Formats: sequence, structure tokens, C-alpha cells
Amino acid sequence: MELQLGLALPSVPFSKGFDLNSCGYEAKEVLGGFDSILDCNVEKSSEEKKRSFDEAFDVQSVQVPETLPLLVWNQQTEHNYPENSSSSITRSDEEEEEDGIIGWPPIKYRRKKLCHGSPISDANCWTVGNGESGGGGDGGHSRGPNPTYVKVKMEGVTIARKVDLSLHHSYQTLTHTLVGMFGRCQEDVKAYKLTYQDNDGDWLLAGDVPWGTFVRSVQRLKVLNNGD
Amino acid sequence: MAKSFPEEVLEHVFSFITSDSDRNAVSLVCKSWYEIERWCRKRVFVGNCYAVSPRILTRRFPEVRSVEIKGKPHFADFNLVPEGWGGCVYPWISAMAGAYPWLEEIRLKRMVVSDEALELISTSFCNFKVLVLSSCEGFSTDGLASIAANCRKLRELDLRESEVDDLSGHWLSHFPDTWTSLVSLNIACLGSEVSFSALERLVARSPNLRTLRLNRAVSLEKLHNLLCRAPQLVEFGTGAYSSELRPDVFSNLAGAFSGCKQLKGLSGFWDLVPAYLPAIYLTCSGLTSLNLSYATIQSPDLVKLVSQCRNLQRLWVLDYIEDIGLDALAASCKDLQELRVFPSDPYVVDPNVSLTERGLVAVSEGCPKLQSVLYFCRQMSNAALVAIARNRPNLVCFRLCIIEPRAPDYLTLEPLDAGFGAIVEHCKELRRLSLSGLLTDRVFEYIGTRGRKLEMLSIAFAGDSDLGLHHVLSGCESLRKLEIRDCPFGDKALLANAAKLETMRSLWMSSCSVSFGACKLLGQKLPRLNVEVIDERGSPYSRPESCLVEKLYIYRTVAGPRIDMPPFVWTIDEDAALR
Repeated sequence: MELQLGLALPSVPFSKGFDLNSCGYEAKEVLGGFDSILDCNVEKSSEEKKRSFDEAFDVQSVQVPETLPLLVWNQQTEHNYPENSSSSITRSDEEEEEDGIIGWPPIKYRRKKLCHGSPISDANCWTVGNGESGGGGDGGHSRGPNPTYVKVKMEGVTIARKVDLSLHHSYQTLTHTLVGMFGRCQEDVKAYKLTYQDNDGDWLLAGDVPWGTFVRSVQRLKVLNNGD
Repeated sequence: MAKSFPEEVLEHVFSFITSDSDRNAVSLVCKSWYEIERWCRKRVFVGNCYAVSPRILTRRFPEVRSVEIKGKPHFADFNLVPEGWGGCVYPWISAMAGAYPWLEEIRLKRMVVSDEALELISTSFCNFKVLVLSSCEGFSTDGLASIAANCRKLRELDLRESEVDDLSGHWLSHFPDTWTSLVSLNIACLGSEVSFSALERLVARSPNLRTLRLNRAVSLEKLHNLLCRAPQLVEFGTGAYSSELRPDVFSNLAGAFSGCKQLKGLSGFWDLVPAYLPAIYLTCSGLTSLNLSYATIQSPDLVKLVSQCRNLQRLWVLDYIEDIGLDALAASCKDLQELRVFPSDPYVVDPNVSLTERGLVAVSEGCPKLQSVLYFCRQMSNAALVAIARNRPNLVCFRLCIIEPRAPDYLTLEPLDAGFGAIVEHCKELRRLSLSGLLTDRVFEYIGTRGRKLEMLSIAFAGDSDLGLHHVLSGCESLRKLEIRDCPFGDKALLANAAKLETMRSLWMSSCSVSFGACKLLGQKLPRLNVEVIDERGSPYSRPESCLVEKLYIYRTVAGPRIDMPPFVWTIDEDAALR
């Protein structure tokens, strides 16, 4: 039956024939040093292969292979999971300064914004290892997958902050977050106005151009009191 | 035998068959049934917008009236899918605009919906009645204005938890004064204030209005104006539920609520001020659904409230309810079917409330109909999980999030394998499971062998080796969606169970140990799968094949590789030399 929306596929006996680990020479070439670690012998019959498959699966032999020449790319070192350990993820030093684990705990963005924690825990991300509330003094410091940080100052506050624009989709949410970031009550959002410096160096009132245009041109932000 | 029935008779018989899987089964009986069925199918569900193309859909089913389409993978909810990944609905709307002039309903989830798409919807379907946008994004209130202005027969506009570029609240005023067919309106996700007088007039002229979910900007003092005009409401979501306590405001509100005799569900309650909670007391005995997950009230108030909701079937609440509140829930709400407890302060290690595993155990003991659980907490034990499993073998959905990754059983410091094992062992109807805490490969052995009806499994920071993934992929006969993050699962398990992937809707793996070489092999050998590598470090082709990929999304498809990929997504074709 031709495959249509029903997508009803014949069931495949998993133990036979579909183990791509046995894809002959190609697999060996493609996967490089893999089989030297996993002692899979591709000439074995499927039955025996199954056994050796089980045997191969004791914990020592299935770590991230040492032959992986990946050390140029630091991110990969995180994937060296220690066996049977309850320790936290090791993070490279430079990342400790930044944020914690993206997307953990698994809470939708909307709820994350409304989390009513102490101001310190405004961190909006889970950091591991130090047992303190995440983020330290740098409140509101969460990171999207494609972070676009801009500096933001609030009128009357000496210390500037950084905000990740990639987490926002509207002026409303941005303003709310900024107000909260500086420790102001978020209900008072109307007491402030948001201005930004665009890539021509001009200071403009935020909200006149479509969000996408704004994000592409904004260089820095300033939150002013809505004095008048 | 099929030929002995005239087509019209068969068609009439088929009209009673509404479930998608039954319809799919009917279409496989023989060619003539396939033909008859496809001409009379009115409702189509597309679980993955890239599994099939708009053209295939419209070509096969010419008479569709209702469409539901899902886009991004579930982990997009937690920022794991980069912006711009895809899931754009415009090509679908464009195809359906031509093929389905009589389309009445569009339901979308996790799709990118532009203002252009909304405008096209509003002008293409003269009978358009229902628009549900769940966790969608990409549109602004201008798009909503098009819908409001042009959809004369609209009954339902439900924005669920979409991210809307909220330019102003003016769009609501685009609904014509002659439009009176509104049944359901959910604007809870919008930030801007809509014109209250427009809202009032809208409610007043909508005698069929059953569901009204306001946004935070609607103040408490004004609620009674709306409620008095819609005493037939069944589901109501308040705006910000806070105000200075004033007796006249309170009595207006209480009076208005008591006038809504059909009310079954309440939600909203942002910034909830406990003093105004008694205003809803008179509705409590009729409530079956209560969403207090934005309400920052403490357990004493919550206890008083839930104790009055004897008919409650669904409760969403923050962990302010604490164990003590869950005890009260277990004692009072014997019809409870679904419980979701969200964390009030998820980013600190130390608990800010006294909510532990005991609360969940109490509910599992006291609520015999409990079947769906989402529970965020900071400690769990195998003993508690075993108790829950034994108490509630009728669980269908069990999602537990212990906030600290890899947290062990807090009493014994052991992994939680035995506890989750008990869950899959006793809960034979379990369809959805989310794991957390310290877990070894053993738990996956339990899941693989005992999770026979499991359809969706979410795994994070768990397992020791490929064996864990192998257990799941070689078992779990009913598995449709598997999503994994930060686990030491790699090539071997994936390649050994490659065929399994064609029996599932999708597999997501991020921050695991899958190499690009394995992805290429999968893509080459299994042409009915799209193997997408998401990597923001640049082309995986520029690195050795043994390098690990950041994120991997594999799904079955009859539409071939997609053509709308952003620069950070690579798909593997049969000819892996091309991209």
C-alpha cells in the first residue's frame, strides 16, 4: 500500500537487517574509529551480533570515544558524562560567568516571565553547582538560543544591565522585563518609557517601528521616567 | 463485497467514523474504500507539518472543512529550538485557500503564523468559523484585526499561549457590530489593553458566548460588567484579579459571579488578591476546571478555595499550594482527574515552599480518578513513586520534574530507577511519561519492556550509555514521540534501531553524543526519514564526521526533505554530498 497520510508501515523485526552499525565498509569509514572501541564484528550473524552488541554495552566501552578529534570545539567537552555519577554537568570556566542550562527547568516562556521569586532569583535560568540562586547580582540574565545582548540603562540607576533581545517578541514583554530587571514593580510599567539608539546613532522612542526592524537596528536601550 | 454497496451508502456509513485512526484504517481496506473515504473526509490532523506537504493533503482530501497542524517540536517551548527553525504556516494557508474555499476550522500548534497568513485566512474562506493558535508566534495584532474585520461567521478565536506582537488593543474594535456569532474568545496571552467598551458591546451582542478568557490588562472592577452581560458563560478567565478592597466592587463582582449559573471553568487570576477570592465562592460547587497557575496566593487561601470545589476535575496551581493544600485537595476533590503543579521559583536550589513528594502521594491516594499529572518539586523518593504507582494504576500521563538535574532519591541517595520502573509497571495505560532525577540505564530497560502503550517519552540528564536508548528504541511498541536532552546516548543505539524511527512521528536529541557521521548514515539509508542536524557552530560538513552534533531532529515524512531550512539546519539526503 502506498504510503499516504495514514503512514501505516509494516512492522520490522528489529533484530534483523536494520542495524545500521553493520552497514559494511561504509559504516567503518563514516564512523571512523568507532568500531575499535565497540568491538562489533560486522561479519557475525545477526544472532551473534546481538550478543556481542549486548556485550559491547558495558559502561566502559560506550563512552564518548576517545578517538573523537573534537577538542578544537570546546562545547563537546561537556558531553563527557562521568559514569554513574550524580555530579552536575561540568561547564567550562568561561561559561560559568554566563548563564546556566538553557530550557531547564522545562517551563514555558510565558510562565518563566511571571515567576515570582526573590529579586536575586530573577535569573531566569538554572545554574548548576554552586548551590546559590542563579545569576548572582545580574538579574534577568537569561539567554535565548541566538542571544542578542544590548546594554540597557535606567534613568537614575548607575549600573547598566544587559538584556537578551532574542527572548522577546514585543515591546510590551521587553519593557516589562526591563522594569523588573531594575527591581521596579512591574505594574508600574506605564511610568516608564523605553528609548533606544539605532545604528545611525540617533535616540528614538521605542515602539514606532515593527519589532523586527527594531531588533535589527537597536544598539543600546535606555529606560526613562515618563515624566510628562 | 464492497461493490455490492452503492458508494452513497458507504459514504453515509463512513460519516459516523470520526476518529483519525479509524478513518485511516478504513482507507486501507481496498482501493474503492480508499477513494470513497478520501472524498468524504472532513477533518484532517497533521501531527508534523513537514511529514506531508500541503499539495499531498489537498490532492488526497478535496472536501476538508477542518484542519489541525502542528509545527515545531515540543522542546521549542523551552527555547531549545533556535528562532527561525521553521514551521511556517503560510504555504498551507496558500494551498488551502485554493483547494478548500469552504474551510471552516484551522487549529495550529507551535507554528509561525504571519500577519499575511492571517489576512489570507480572513479573505479566503467565506464560512470560516474557528481559529485556534496554540503556542504560535510571528503575528501581530494587525493580523488579528484582519480576522476580526473579515470573518463574518467567526465563532471561535482562541490565542492560547501564543506570542503576539502586541501593537495595540485596537484590533478588537474591528469586529463589526452586526457580528453576533461569537462562542469562544481567548485573548489571555495579549499584553495590550483592548477597548473595554468594544469588549462590552461584543459580549452583549453574543448570546452564544460560552468561553471568555480575558487578558491581564482587564481590571477587576470591570469584570462584573462583562459577567452580567454573559450569564450563560461556561468558561471564564479573569484579568488581573487585584484591586483595593472596596465593598461595592466586591459585592458587584460576587453578584455577577453568582449570576453565572453555568460556570464550570475559571482561569486568569493574575496578581490575585486574596480578599477578592470569596467573590467566586458561590461558583465553586459547580466548577470542574480551575487554573490558578498565575495566582500567587498561599496555601491557607488555596485550602479554603479547593475545599469548596467538590466537583473539581482539573486543577492547575502553583506550588504555593504546598503539601498541606494537596492534602485538602485529596480530601475534598474526589473527581479530580488532572493535576498540574508549577514552580513559583524554579531557579533556586533551595525550596521556597513546603511542597514535597508527600503532596503528590496524598493526591494519588485520595483521588481515585486521577489520570494526568504534571508535578514540579525538589525532592522525590523511590518509595513515593512506588506508592503513587500502586495507588493510581489508571494514570495515563505522568510528568515529573525534579528541579535539580540528576537529583537522587533524597532518602537513600539511590537512582530513581525503581520508582519510575514501578510507574510503568503498574500504570499499564500510561501514554505519556516525563522523567527526571538521577536515572541509570536500568530505568530504560523497565520502560522499554513495560511501557507498551507509551506514546510520548521525555528524557533529560539521564542514563549512562547507549544501552539506555537502545532499551527504549527496541521496546516501547507504541512510541510516537521521543525527546531527549543532555543524555549520553549516541550513535550505536540510534543506528541499531534505525527502523524504529520510521514507526515514530519524531525523535529529538540535543546535547547528546550523536556524531554527524551517524546522522549521515541514517539519512542515506532511510529515505523516508528527514534527518535534520541543527548546529549553530556552522556546517557540520566542515568538521570531521566523528564530531558530535548539537541538536538532531528526525521525523518520518512522505514529503521529502524540506526546502525552507534556515542556515543552521542541515538535512541529509540520499546523496550526502549535496545539502
